[in-house]
Amino acid sequence: MRSTLLALGLLGAVAAGSAEAQPAAPSEIKIGALYASSGAYASISMPVFDAFKLWVDAVNADGGAEVKAFGKKIPIKLIAYDDQSSTATAATLYNQLITQDHVDLLIADSGSVLTSVAVPIAKEHKQFLFDVSGTGAAFFTDDNPYIALMADPVSTIWPHYISDFLADEGAKAGIKTVAILYSTNDFTGTQAAALKGFFERDGKVKVIYYQGVPTTTSNYTVLINNIAALNPDAVLELGYVGNDIAFLRNLQDSGNQFRFVFSIYAGTEKDEIEKNVGVSAMTNIFSYVPASNYDYKPEVGMTQKEFHAAWDKKYPPGSGVAFGGNAIYGYMTGLVVGQTLATAKSLDQMDIHDAVFAQSFKLKTLDGTFELRKDGAQIGEVTPLGQLQAAGKDALNLVAVYPPDLANGKAIIGK
Amino acid sequence: MLIGAIIAGIVFGLYYTLVGLGLNLVFGVMRIVNLAHGDFLMLGGIAAWWLFSSFGLHPLWSAVLVIVVFVLAGLPIYYLVVPRLLRSRDSEMLSLILFFGVSQMIEAVTTIGLGATERSLPPRLLGVGPMILFGTRLPKAWIFSAAASAIAVLLVYLYLYRTRLGTLTRAVMVSRDEALATGIDVNFVSAVAFGISIALAGVAGVFAPFILGSITPNMGVAINITAFAVIVVGTLGNPLGTLLGGIIYGVSLMLMQTYLSSWANLLPNLLLIAVLLVRPEGLLGRTVRRA
Repeated sequence: MRSTLLALGLLGAVAAGSAEAQPAAPSEIKIGALYASSGAYASISMPVFDAFKLWVDAVNADGGAEVKAFGKKIPIKLIAYDDQSSTATAATLYNQLITQDHVDLLIADSGSVLTSVAVPIAKEHKQFLFDVSGTGAAFFTDDNPYIALMADPVSTIWPHYISDFLADEGAKAGIKTVAILYSTNDFTGTQAAALKGFFERDGKVKVIYYQGVPTTTSNYTVLINNIAALNPDAVLELGYVGNDIAFLRNLQDSGNQFRFVFSIYAGTEKDEIEKNVGVSAMTNIFSYVPASNYDYKPEVGMTQKEFHAAWDKKYPPGSGVAFGGNAIYGYMTGLVVGQTLATAKSLDQMDIHDAVFAQSFKLKTLDGTFELRKDGAQIGEVTPLGQLQAAGKDALNLVAVYPPDLANGKAIIGK
Repeated sequence: MLIGAIIAGIVFGLYYTLVGLGLNLVFGVMRIVNLAHGDFLMLGGIAAWWLFSSFGLHPLWSAVLVIVVFVLAGLPIYYLVVPRLLRSRDSEMLSLILFFGVSQMIEAVTTIGLGATERSLPPRLLGVGPMILFGTRLPKAWIFSAAASAIAVLLVYLYLYRTRLGTLTRAVMVSRDEALATGIDVNFVSAVAFGISIALAGVAGVFAPFILGSITPNMGVAINITAFAVIVVGTLGNPLGTLLGGIIYGVSLMLMQTYLSSWANLLPNLLLIAVLLVRPEGLLGRTVRRA
């Protein structure tokens, strides 16, 4: 009898102990994020942030996010600071989110420049970083498990369709030389280096001009004249939104014409560029085709049509932030965060890592298939080559022209 | 490429003369540094964008309207801020802080009101396509902007050297205290100069979308740095020296873009350091100014 009581007592003590070891569910899940309301990167940051906020609001309206670690729905508290496009300010604020606010999940600001300072900070603090669109190849290394790229492929992958197209259809059309003009930052610098490597490897198109300019460059007239003096068949300009606006305007104003001209944001932020540059300066420009041009069938979250409608309802057209690829990236990040919370064993950062990587190749959203390389680089979402072709008098249509299996039109290469 | 870069640099530099001219006028007359100068330029650009998108007003008409409105706006701003500033012990230093605050306020209010994204005017408004100048292809908008700048320099020259108010302005530039002692209404003369200064910034803003591609609320700081380099090179306090500073900046920038493009954004700082080390009074200065 005594031994039975002792056994029951021990069992009770163990049960009580294990009950104490189970952490109490928090009243809220703290997600830290940065955004740039002003400065050079505001145009790519605000759509991402607004879309992520849209996702948070929708989740909270539904009672909170499903958190597997606590077996219940918990509201999300979004702690967000404005870094004003300054890397110095961003570095301070990333530290603040981790060390002062003790956020459960950390979301980087949009773009490689403002993500570049988050990568070492997150790694040092062993805080997993949800990298929205910081695609610089240097961010992803085998010794850093605390990062995953959400919504854009790593920069080394982006441009391979450009080089493949030029080596294939371009070469058939007589394109033999190319000029590469890029802004010196992790995003476009990586793409430029990758492109140069692809062209040199394939040996079909010769790079005759390869120059970097500061990301702050707002005038390209002399650069365009210098390129024209070398008479390349193709010109690839790799910059941020402000760079592309200035380049395309200057190209039209200069009167120089090239057979193939590429700019990143002419397609990915078409509305924003068109507003500033005009239809005629964008006609027949090649660009990447963002996810917003495809109607992927999502298994998680809204379809693109539904998301666009939700966006327009929350941020009516003309209210300041345009719908585009970056809006999709912000919402897509929210979906990954939601799936992570719903599957992670705990909020320990390595468990977060495991939950994010477990979604690789399984998660299908309006942005395509989410697929991670083991170092955290995104390799699933593709960036087909597109071209802005005239669709009526004052309208442009972004037509995917390469690769053939994703194309919905034929490229027009200048004479 | 060398000749093309030099010609483009001269034309581009004329625009930066317009950008720096007002900043230098204010420094010459009041010995204060208007760190909100670039933000007034941005407001000029926003005004041109708004006038075009709302009323279809051509930017050349907007430039005229901006001059009138900005001169009139400059007078009360001057009386509100500058006389108090000039009564302080170190007005030059305090002006940096005060106008930095004004700059931040203008940027913040514009961002809140209009958003942070780029705004521009259709390139066709100043003519699509190039003009050939000594064998160099230049956008027509550059020629318009350079012409506007040249006209502005000429008008400032005529104002300073051919009008009574200009003579009084030059008297204030030589010595504010002596001008006051001789009965000159120093505050009125300075207020007009301040109004002209921000009007010049506003006109430069009207042409900014054609030269810089677009307008954003945060562009003021970068404009200030460049404008400051231009006026230091050309001589602080000498409005007409700005012409030389602007052209040197423009030519240097185009040469940098041609031969060392990755480092082009270092140029304003390099010019500043070089001039301050070698000839601190500026290229047209006679003596080292007393700080």
